[in-house]
Amino acid sequence: MSLLRVENVTKRFGGLVAVDDMSFEIRHGELMAIVGPNGAGKTTMFNLINGVFPADEGRIIFEDVDVTRYPAYKRAHLGIGRTFQIPRPFASATVRENIAIGGMFGAAGSEISVDRAMELADHYIDIIGLKEHRDKPAGGLTPVEKKLVEIARALAMKPRLLLMDEAMAGMNPKDIDEMVAFIREIRDTEGIAIVSMVEHIMRAVAGLAERVIVMHQGALLVDEPTQEALSDPRVIEVYLGQPPEEAHA
Amino acid sequence: MMRPVRAYYPILPVLIGYGILFGIGQMVPGKWQLISQLAFFCALGQAFNLFMGMTGYVDFGYVAFLGVGTYGMAVSIYYLFDKGLGLTMIVIGMILAAVFSTLLSLAVGAVALRLRGAYFAIATIGVNEGFRFLIEGARIWNGSDGMIFSRHMKTAFGRETAMALSMKWADVIVFGVAFLAAVMTLLYMRNKVGYALTALREDEDAAKVMGINVTRYKLIAFITSAILAGLLGASAWALKLTYVYPTDVFAIHYTVEAIIIVLLGGAGTLLGPIVGGLIYGVSKYYLAIVLPGFQLMIFAPIIIMIIVLFPEGTVGILKKRVFGTPLEKFII
Repeated sequence: MSLLRVENVTKRFGGLVAVDDMSFEIRHGELMAIVGPNGAGKTTMFNLINGVFPADEGRIIFEDVDVTRYPAYKRAHLGIGRTFQIPRPFASATVRENIAIGGMFGAAGSEISVDRAMELADHYIDIIGLKEHRDKPAGGLTPVEKKLVEIARALAMKPRLLLMDEAMAGMNPKDIDEMVAFIREIRDTEGIAIVSMVEHIMRAVAGLAERVIVMHQGALLVDEPTQEALSDPRVIEVYLGQPPEEAHA
Repeated sequence: MMRPVRAYYPILPVLIGYGILFGIGQMVPGKWQLISQLAFFCALGQAFNLFMGMTGYVDFGYVAFLGVGTYGMAVSIYYLFDKGLGLTMIVIGMILAAVFSTLLSLAVGAVALRLRGAYFAIATIGVNEGFRFLIEGARIWNGSDGMIFSRHMKTAFGRETAMALSMKWADVIVFGVAFLAAVMTLLYMRNKVGYALTALREDEDAAKVMGINVTRYKLIAFITSAILAGLLGASAWALKLTYVYPTDVFAIHYTVEAIIIVLLGGAGTLLGPIVGGLIYGVSKYYLAIVLPGFQLMIFAPIIIMIIVLFPEGTVGILKKRVFGTPLEKFII
């Protein structure tokens, strides 16, 4: 059984078809990446899955519930978590409060008390290794720390599907490798499906995903296991243009 | 729902602050009028802060809630004075004030809370004027002639009690409203409502993605804040002055005063409105003596300076100072 099914989803902004008849599935506990050049429609696809705006056509099924018309907060309650490319911590709240908010209102939200959410936050603070910043306002952290807080906040929501928007953008190779290892680790310990969005750091994709979906101009280009997708001529063409011999032909 | 008792320690400085203020008013002869004015400003700030400070939304039509609350008390006394209800009338007046302000906040909230930031502010800017025109134009509750009910109060309660009600008890109720507003603020801060409001104030889209039904929490803060304003209008204006005119109670400058108080003290803090209310009230009082007529000219640049130099307000700065010290538990 699949965790998430996207069925023929289309989204238009005026005349622009940002997402064009996309269909794919995400399985339980899967590591997947949505890849594509700038403007391919990846972010729009993410926004459609977690309900920032509704799809114009098609259906989105999460664990057998048709969530196509659900607002974002209801999808969060069902277990869809999300991090943003540019981290958006609640700046005035402390690191601990930021993460606790995820616990309070996420998938486990209604049963979790404030105090329990704080304990949960402490657990995730240990995991991301920011213990010394626990009671500092999140607005004062470094970008990488903010990213970690955002991931912890999303994990505290106890999602079954975590959408990670460009987790590696702007990082140096060492940080990228650490982040990839961290993402794999949380998939194993939390047992959740993680979908990463990657624009151009192909170095990360191989470690981040068992399967890759490549988007191009709003549409699905390939949906293959990672190694095959990365060597697929269609994918190379999207990124690098046509190979010279074909261009001459 | 309930957190450990130590989470509610910050109510102590609030209690002490209002206690001292009340004590001075009772003990120092001739200062009760000033003290009751200060209590009004503190209560106004505290009630307004519950919405503006905690959500970051500025409601320019806020005074309308005080206005309808004033009418709630006025209507009760004006129409029920000869029914032999005694002091129950005051209770009915307070309930009516709460009901009127709730209804108005639901109506305004249903439309305006769908809008973000500046659009919300613009949408609410006409609410008080609209309500004034409605009462005057449709001649509801005597229209622009207002309601004068000092005679009704004397008939209902007797001269002595009527005097005591407007000279003293109205102000005592204002203290009560101020304290109630502080208690509600702290309750919200310490429970899920407060965390939801913090999240949506900082980043509404991120808050939604975290599973927060932002409209619901905004509405909770809006209605609570409106009810407190209604009660404040019923006590500080209706019961104290024993008359109500639409031009008086729907005047936008009270909203502006509320904004100034909250910013002076520190938006979103518990103690801010008390500090802000005191600073504003005292300086307004003495400026009116030293430089009558020039208060606003002096206040305008001061406000601009505060917003630019100290956006966190007095208590915001104090909070940073006491971070990591034992005082931290009390000053929020």
